Amino acid sequence: MNCNELRDHYELYAIGVADEPERSEIRAHLNRDCEVCMNGIRKAREVAALLGGTAAPMAPSPRLRARILASVGVEQRRFGWAPFLAAALALSLFAVVYFAGRERDLGNEIARVRDINRQQTIELTRVNEAFAIVNGPDTVVTTFGEGEPKPKGKVFVSPTQGVLLIASNLRPAPSGKAYEMWVIPNGGKPKPAGMFQSSAEGSAMHVQRGSMQDANTIAVTLEPEAGSDAPTSTPLFAAPIRALVP
Amino acid sequence: MMLLPIFLAIHAAEDDTGLVARMQRRDPQALAELYDRYGRVTYSLILRVVRDGGIAEDLVQETFLRVWNRVHGFDAQKGSIGPWLLAVARNRAIDYLRSAGGRERNAVEFEETDHPALYCDMEKDLLSADKARKVKSAVEKLTPNQRQVIELAYFEGLSQTEMAARMGQPLGTVKTWVRTALKNLREDLGAVVSA
Repeated sequence: MNCNELRDHYELYAIGVADEPERSEIRAHLNRDCEVCMNGIRKAREVAALLGGTAAPMAPSPRLRARILASVGVEQRRFGWAPFLAAALALSLFAVVYFAGRERDLGNEIARVRDINRQQTIELTRVNEAFAIVNGPDTVVTTFGEGEPKPKGKVFVSPTQGVLLIASNLRPAPSGKAYEMWVIPNGGKPKPAGMFQSSAEGSAMHVQRGSMQDANTIAVTLEPEAGSDAPTSTPLFAAPIRALVP
Repeated sequence: MMLLPIFLAIHAAEDDTGLVARMQRRDPQALAELYDRYGRVTYSLILRVVRDGGIAEDLVQETFLRVWNRVHGFDAQKGSIGPWLLAVARNRAIDYLRSAGGRERNAVEFEETDHPALYCDMEKDLLSADKARKVKSAVEKLTPNQRQVIELAYFEGLSQTEMAARMGQPLGTVKTWVRTALKNLREDLGAVVSA
């Protein structure tokens, strides 16, 4: 058969429904690279492709996509509420832990600020007390340790308000020990006047409020950290003040 | 035959060249994108042939796997993968229909039309919305008998002899309807298909 006789059968051949003998004839033409039939079949395939899209549009199930991809080794996450619920649960747990942590941190921070505030209040009170003593109209000053490498400093004594000790060259007390100030009355036993520590630089300030009317000497000894009722060691220094009190 | 604007779904703004290249590099995500682009039209075509949703889905899966396994033979620079995909889909569906009906398979033609190289010289925008409208117009112009034989051939894979038996018409009459229908389609679609 010639090409002209086969042309009406190109489309049928292209979609695989050509009858014999046309089917075999077209195949034979194609096998010998017949340009007319090759071109005709190419156009017929285009018509077939166009007809392929004429079916009423329908949607496959959403699972089909996952099936196809799984068949080539791609794991698809299945859509569902489980991931969202898991995410919500995880978020909730995170929020609980996070806010509990935040609350704990906030509580710790508040406690720390309160502690700082308390310390600053104590320091401010001490400074105010020190100023009150220094500025007292009846305050006298005694210097001790001058010209010596040992502890030195000044003692401010107000007979009505108390005593202020400012010292330097006073190395920090050993572990378990602290400095204790003594007010020694004229002819009497030393009275405890408070414990204190010196800084790493060797400076110290100590205030003891109270009447100093009978004070004769201010002394400092190294005592156990808990303090002593009476001196247990030789005074590091002693500042006589009786003569200076009016 | 109703021609619906399904072409709109398959006419992707971006051509398929990059998609095919990625599939040839065995990028599974490219297969996912191919399905997103052509899955509905492929399913619609196969469902139109086999008329069973479950079977249609199995055949869609077979179609995409077949394309995935044969894509290395497709030259993306010379054509769009869409027409080839639809040809494979139709062949899978008709093959199923013939097997289920105890009919002989035209295996040779199927193997030929499945071959990707045969679709490499087609226009890249063959399945455009504009061409879809022209196909619709051409099909609507056919007489009922002409339209029926085209449907039986394309969607049921019947040969002219089988059509004559199905329709209870003389083979000569059916051949005339087929010849006339194809001639009319060819003339109307002359400007649509490549010259």
